[in-house]
Amino acid sequence: MLVVKNLTKSFSSASGEVQALKNVNMTVETGEFASIIGKSGSGKSTLLSMLGALDVPTSGSIEVDGVDIAKLSASQQTAYRAKKIGFVFQYYNLIPNLTAIENVILALEFGGMPAKLRKARAEQLLSDVGLEPDEQLRNPSRLSGGQQQRVSIARALANKPAIILADEPTGNLDSETGKKIFDLLHQLSRSQNTTILAVTHDMDIAGKTDRTFKLTDGKITA
Amino acid sequence: MNVVSRGIKNALRSPLRSGAIVLMLAISIGLILSMLVARSSVNAKIEEVKATAGTNITISPAGVMGFSGGGDALTSEQLATIVSTAHISSTIATLSDQLGAADTNLTASLELGSFGARQQRFDSSSATSTTNTNTEAETARPARPAPTPRTTVTGTTDQNSVSTDGNKLNITSGESINATSSDLVALVGTDLATKNNLVAGSTFTAYEKNITVKGIFKTDNKFQDSGIIMPLATVQTLTDQAGAVNSITATVDSSDNVTSTVAALKTALGTKADITSQVEQAATSVSSLESISSLALAGVIGATIAGSVIVLLSMVMVVRERRHEIGVIKAIGSTNAKVIAQFVTEALTLTIIGSIVGLTMGILVSGPMTNSLVSNQNSSSSTTTATRGGMSGGPSAMFRGGMNQISANFIQVTSSLTPEVFIAAVGITLLIAIIGSAIPAWSIARIRPAEVLRTE
Repeated sequence: MLVVKNLTKSFSSASGEVQALKNVNMTVETGEFASIIGKSGSGKSTLLSMLGALDVPTSGSIEVDGVDIAKLSASQQTAYRAKKIGFVFQYYNLIPNLTAIENVILALEFGGMPAKLRKARAEQLLSDVGLEPDEQLRNPSRLSGGQQQRVSIARALANKPAIILADEPTGNLDSETGKKIFDLLHQLSRSQNTTILAVTHDMDIAGKTDRTFKLTDGKITA
Repeated sequence: MNVVSRGIKNALRSPLRSGAIVLMLAISIGLILSMLVARSSVNAKIEEVKATAGTNITISPAGVMGFSGGGDALTSEQLATIVSTAHISSTIATLSDQLGAADTNLTASLELGSFGARQQRFDSSSATSTTNTNTEAETARPARPAPTPRTTVTGTTDQNSVSTDGNKLNITSGESINATSSDLVALVGTDLATKNNLVAGSTFTAYEKNITVKGIFKTDNKFQDSGIIMPLATVQTLTDQAGAVNSITATVDSSDNVTSTVAALKTALGTKADITSQVEQAATSVSSLESISSLALAGVIGATIAGSVIVLLSMVMVVRERRHEIGVIKAIGSTNAKVIAQFVTEALTLTIIGSIVGLTMGILVSGPMTNSLVSNQNSSSSTTTATRGGMSGGPSAMFRGGMNQISANFIQVTSSLTPEVFIAAVGITLLIAIIGSAIPAWSIARIRPAEVLRTE
C-alpha cells in the first residue's frame, strides 16, 4: 500500500522559492490502478519523482508497505528503485544501443537476478507484452513506438515491483496504440497485483482507472 | 550482458569517433613506447660506457705528451702527494727514455719508416730553428744527422702497466722482474730480443752498464715489443733523474669518486701536471647520450599527457552526450559504481585497442627512431672527439685503448624492447585510461536522474 502524507516539495529559482507540491495526501491500495491528472506545471511529474525516490521531498512522508522512502539513504533509494519501482516513460527511454531483450536484462541485472536466469525471464516478459522473438532482438530504433513502450513496460515489470509509475505512457502514441498499451497496463495490474500510478492528460484513460487524483497547483483537489 | 560487455559495446558504438580516438591514442602510445625504448637503450649504453671507462686517472707533467712537448718531470714529492690523496687505492709510476746507438749495444728493432724519420728530422731542426729563420740561414745550417731508430726504455713500478690490453703482461720466456727494485734487470720485447738474439739470462749494455735480461715479453703491439721494461728506480738512476717520473696512473677506489679525486689532484698539483681520467672523457662522450635520454623522458611525459587528455576529452564528451541515458539507467536502479564501471570499461576498451595498435607501431618504429636520435647526436659529438690529440707510451696506451672502446660503444647503441620497458608502457597506458576516466566518473556521480528526466 502507498500512503503519502503532507508531502511538500519546494524548488529555489531565480524568481524565488517555488512550491511544486503543497501538503499532498493520498493513499493507493495494493493492486490498484490509479491515475493522476492535471494541467502542465501542476506538479504531476514532481509527485511521480518523489514516489519513485528520484527526488527527496522538502517535508512529509511517502510510505510504501510501511517504509518511509523519504528517509532512505541514497544507496537504499537506489535499491528501492531497482526492486520496488518500475518506471514507464512517455518517450520510453530505452537504451538505444541495446536490443529490446538487453534493455530488459539491464533492469534484471540492477534488481540482482542471477545472470543465468535473466535471459529466460526477459524473453518471458517481452512475450507477455506481445513482442515476437525476432522483435526482441531488435534495437529500439527498429521498433515502432507501441513496441518500444511494450519493451519499456516489460523492463518496468522485470523485478516484480510493488509499484509501477507511468508518466504519460500513452502520450506519444496514436489513440489506438495508446488504448492497447493502457489495456496492457490494466491487465498486468490485475494479473500481477501490481499497483500502478499513471500520469495522464487523457480523461478517457483516467476514467477507466480505479481511482483518479486531480492535481492543481501542487494540491490534490479531487 | 554485464557492465563490462556493455562498456565494450559502448566503446564501439560510434565506429568513426572510436576510430579517431583509437588512432590518436595509438600515436601517443606508440610514441611512449618508442621513447621508453630509446631511453632504456641509451641509458644502458651510458652505463656500459661508464663501466668501460674504469677508475684510472692519468697524471703527466704539464705540457708533456709521450716524448713530445715540454715541461718538467713529476717529482717524488708530487708522487707522494698523489699517493696520499683520498680514494686513491694504488699508483703506477713510469719514467720513459730512448736509447740511441751511442747509448747501447742493442740494435733497435723498430724500423723508423717515413713517419719516424720525419719525426726525428723535425726534432733535430727544431733545436736550431731559433737562430735560423730565413732561407739564407737555412742553406748555411750544418747538415742534420741521419735519422736512426731508437729503443724505448720504460721504467715502471708495475711491468703489467705496459700490457696494451690492461691484463697481466705476457712473459713468453724467462721470468718477470721486481719492478719496485733497483736491480740492473730488464724485460725485453719479443721483436727486440729476436733482432739482438737475446734470451732470458742474456745481457746487454745500456747507459754504460750491463743489464741482465730476466724475460721476454709479447704484447702484439710492435712499438711495445721493440722496447725494454726495467724497474722505475733503475731507470731513474741510469738516467740521473732521481725521483723523476713522466707518467703516473692512479687507481681510484670507486667510479663514483673519480671526478672528486681528479678535482682534489688538480688542486694539489696545480698547473704542474696534466690530469685526465677516462671517466671524465667518458662523461664528455655520454653527454649527448644523456641529452637523448632526457629528450626521450620528455617525450614519454608529453605523450602520456597527450594520451590522457585525448581519453579525458573523449570521455567527457561521451558523458555529456549520454547524460540522459545515464539518468535513465540510474532511475531504473543502477548504482553510481556500476555506471562509472561501465564508462571506465569503455575508456579502457578504447585505450587497449589504441595500445595494441600503438604498441605495434612503437615496436616497428622504436629501433629506427632510437638510431636516428643517436646518429644525429653522434655526428655532432664525433667532430669534437676527432680534435682530441693522441697519446703514446706506457699507461697512455691502455688509456687510449679504453677510449677507443668507449667510442666504439658510443656508435653501437642498439634499441631493445625489454619486458620491463613493455610493462612500463602498458602501465602508462592504464594510467592514461584511469586519468582519462577520473573526471568523467566524477561527472557521472553528479548526474541526478530527476533533473535529467524533468528536461524531457
